[in-house]
Amino acid sequence: MTLAYRPGDGVLHRLDPRSKLALQAGFAAAAFVHTTAPGLAVLTPLAVFAPRLAGASVRDALGEFRVIAPFLLASPLVAGLRLGEPWFEVAPAVHTALASYRVLLLLLVAAAYVYSTPVRDSRAAVRWLLPGKLGAATGVGVALVFRFLPVLQGDLAARRDAVNARLGGERSLRERIRLVGVGGLGRALSRADRLAVALRARCFAWNPTSPPLSYGRRDWLATGVAAALGAAAALA
Amino acid sequence: MSVETDGVELVGDETVENIARAAVFAALTGAMAYVSFPNPVSPVPVTMQVLGVFLAGLYLGPVWGGASMSLYVAAGAVGAPIYAGGGAGLGSLLGPFGGYLWAYPVAAALTGLVAHGTSGLVDPRQVGVPRLVAAMVAGTVLIYAGGTVGYAVVENVGLVKAFGLAAAAFIPAEAFKIAAAIGITRSDQLNAA
Repeated sequence: MTLAYRPGDGVLHRLDPRSKLALQAGFAAAAFVHTTAPGLAVLTPLAVFAPRLAGASVRDALGEFRVIAPFLLASPLVAGLRLGEPWFEVAPAVHTALASYRVLLLLLVAAAYVYSTPVRDSRAAVRWLLPGKLGAATGVGVALVFRFLPVLQGDLAARRDAVNARLGGERSLRERIRLVGVGGLGRALSRADRLAVALRARCFAWNPTSPPLSYGRRDWLATGVAAALGAAAALA
Repeated sequence: MSVETDGVELVGDETVENIARAAVFAALTGAMAYVSFPNPVSPVPVTMQVLGVFLAGLYLGPVWGGASMSLYVAAGAVGAPIYAGGGAGLGSLLGPFGGYLWAYPVAAALTGLVAHGTSGLVDPRQVGVPRLVAAMVAGTVLIYAGGTVGYAVVENVGLVKAFGLAAAAFIPAEAFKIAAAIGITRSDQLNAA
């Protein structure tokens, strides 16, 4: 499970993050409105093609989501079950199977975005998308989450190793969660305090300079596709 | 995007601290999604992710706890691998378990609101155990309501079946997390709050 940015020069890598977000939104809207066999059949080539445009394979993208595969498979079966005659109905099962398939297509498209978009681009897009201070704070916050995730993962893993080394494995579940949680929280609080000091020392401002985003011809093309998908959803 | 040259508008001291804490708690929740323990009462392993939601509500309060979990959702949406099992992207938000993620900010805010009330933040150590339990049970109910409705909508199944498929197996473990969270707030190792 390492769904993360992969450096490369695929078609999607060269698009502006905003046009990629528009594509995802358009695709999702179209998929939710047209959850029928013909509708999803039309959308399937787009979804299958998306990871390739991001320099990854469909198999890579599907592998990222294997955890939810059992649920996608089980839902149609459960949806068809009836308590009593005839025990199993085909129509609701098909309905749910289409929904599961829709999820699969959405996951492929979303994975293509993640593969092809570096963090700083996403952050700039967030700042552009949300107005004023909200956008600035969210942009900074999102970047900080990326920055601190590996650090705090390290903290928690170290804490867990320490607990296990002291026979923590023989303690109750509640106690194990508590011990790891206390360590993680303590480290997180002190890191947050140091981060606040560092931010102030570096003149943390509401209006820093963002990396430039530029909309090229390709982006307008992608936005056109997104708009077409959105229109297909709206006209249904 | 145009470059601003009008001068620098500094962020106020208190807000800096809150943004820093919100971001670090969002990352902590993401890191907790990777830590799982074997579950004594169900085959589904227990991850600590929801504990992060509780702690954000308890330690940051309703406003910044909710903001922190909104950051968690936003950072995951643009590609930070912080959702359950290292997932990321809009696909997870629109996927069968997206309802849980959408519910996290509201649940953290609700947990904070019940624990702290509306008149400023209280040290979680000073809050009574019944109130802490009520706060986290309220948060849990909201998270599972969101998760169940999300699963029902995305997978086109009824609410009862969605609950059976996507929620029932996870609920017993929440009791351990609530108990652990209370232990955390009572811990001597933590002096901050």
